[in-house]
Amino acid sequence: MGKFKEVFLKNTWYENPVFVLVLGICSTLAVTNNLKNTFIMTIGVMLVTGFSNLTVSLLKNLIPSKVRMITQVLIISFYVIIVDIILKAYLPDVSKALGPYVGLIITNCIIMGRAEAFAQSNPPLISFWDGITSGFGYMIVLVAIAFFRELLGFGTIFGYKVMPENFVNWTIMIMPPSAFFMLALFIWIVKGFKKEGAK
Amino acid sequence: MKENKIYTIIFTFVISFLFVLILSIINSMTYDKILENQNFSKIRAILNSMGIEYKDEKDAIKIFNSKIDQIEIGGLKFYTTTLNGEKIYSYIFSGSGLWGTITGVISVNESIDRIVGIDIISQNETPGLGGRIEEDWFKQQFKGELVKDKIKIKVSGASSDFNKENSSVDAITGATLTSRFFINIINDSLEKIRNALRSE
Repeated sequence: MGKFKEVFLKNTWYENPVFVLVLGICSTLAVTNNLKNTFIMTIGVMLVTGFSNLTVSLLKNLIPSKVRMITQVLIISFYVIIVDIILKAYLPDVSKALGPYVGLIITNCIIMGRAEAFAQSNPPLISFWDGITSGFGYMIVLVAIAFFRELLGFGTIFGYKVMPENFVNWTIMIMPPSAFFMLALFIWIVKGFKKEGAK
Repeated sequence: MKENKIYTIIFTFVISFLFVLILSIINSMTYDKILENQNFSKIRAILNSMGIEYKDEKDAIKIFNSKIDQIEIGGLKFYTTTLNGEKIYSYIFSGSGLWGTITGVISVNESIDRIVGIDIISQNETPGLGGRIEEDWFKQQFKGELVKDKIKIKVSGASSDFNKENSSVDAITGATLTSRFFINIINDSLEKIRNALRSE
């Protein structure tokens, strides 16, 4: 059990894919101006990372090293297409709102990073857990950023108006540049905390 | 054995085949459901653009089947209905946005001098920016808008433009390009509709 806890802490805090490894930044910048889209997409990433890790780990003894990466990409796209089909069939409105971003989960470096760095050399169950927790580490950062961007940019949380009537929306917050500021601030604050911890 | 060339080739083929096979099974299992969703989103968009209200999916399909006719005039396909004694023509448009094709419905009155309403069926614009053309406040701006000639777009700090007589709408902040592309599609469609309906 200790190993599972260790992996969890590593993936969500000590080696968080976004604020420590700085992976998956494109999507961090692109989808975080709206909590609902962010939430659904990060769940997609979490599931895809988990299941591709599981599959890579199950097949690792059969995969020739020359075609290792091609196989990983194949497995990742396989799961992304499944997520896409499920959204289209059962959650058409969400699928519409996310548009091309579901397909772009394939290009998220975290997924391939975990497959290559962890699943290739670890047993299936812990690999699955590693994928899920990496996705979770990614999710908490994106949801935190999206929370502030939606709150200040639209005055809403999950689409519900929370700011007072006379609140002037910070238009910059819904535009891509603000994600850079928010992410930088986030990393700054988190690094500060980590230093405190180290002392 | 594992690093053998022949094995590598066979492995690549087998694994690709297996994964694609599973995908095509899942795809064919959900195909009807997806088609149904797409058909419903078209029906919903047509009703929305005409300003017809409905309770749920079944109700929408019932209204669509009983009240709306499909006709072809001047080479264009129209959906038409009569509302409060006036004929409304809906046309499904499709054109390029900033990132991909935008498909939607535009409804006009009989004399083609006012837009009855618009709705979007599908689009691939940036979520949260250009993707906001799907939001109500944006679409509502077109409702009842006077269009003698073309619709213009305003880029200003103001929020939506609800003046129905000035033939202009407010662009989406941060998505001026998508707004421009969208207005071009609307103006092109209006042009096509005028040519088709007046050819009769």
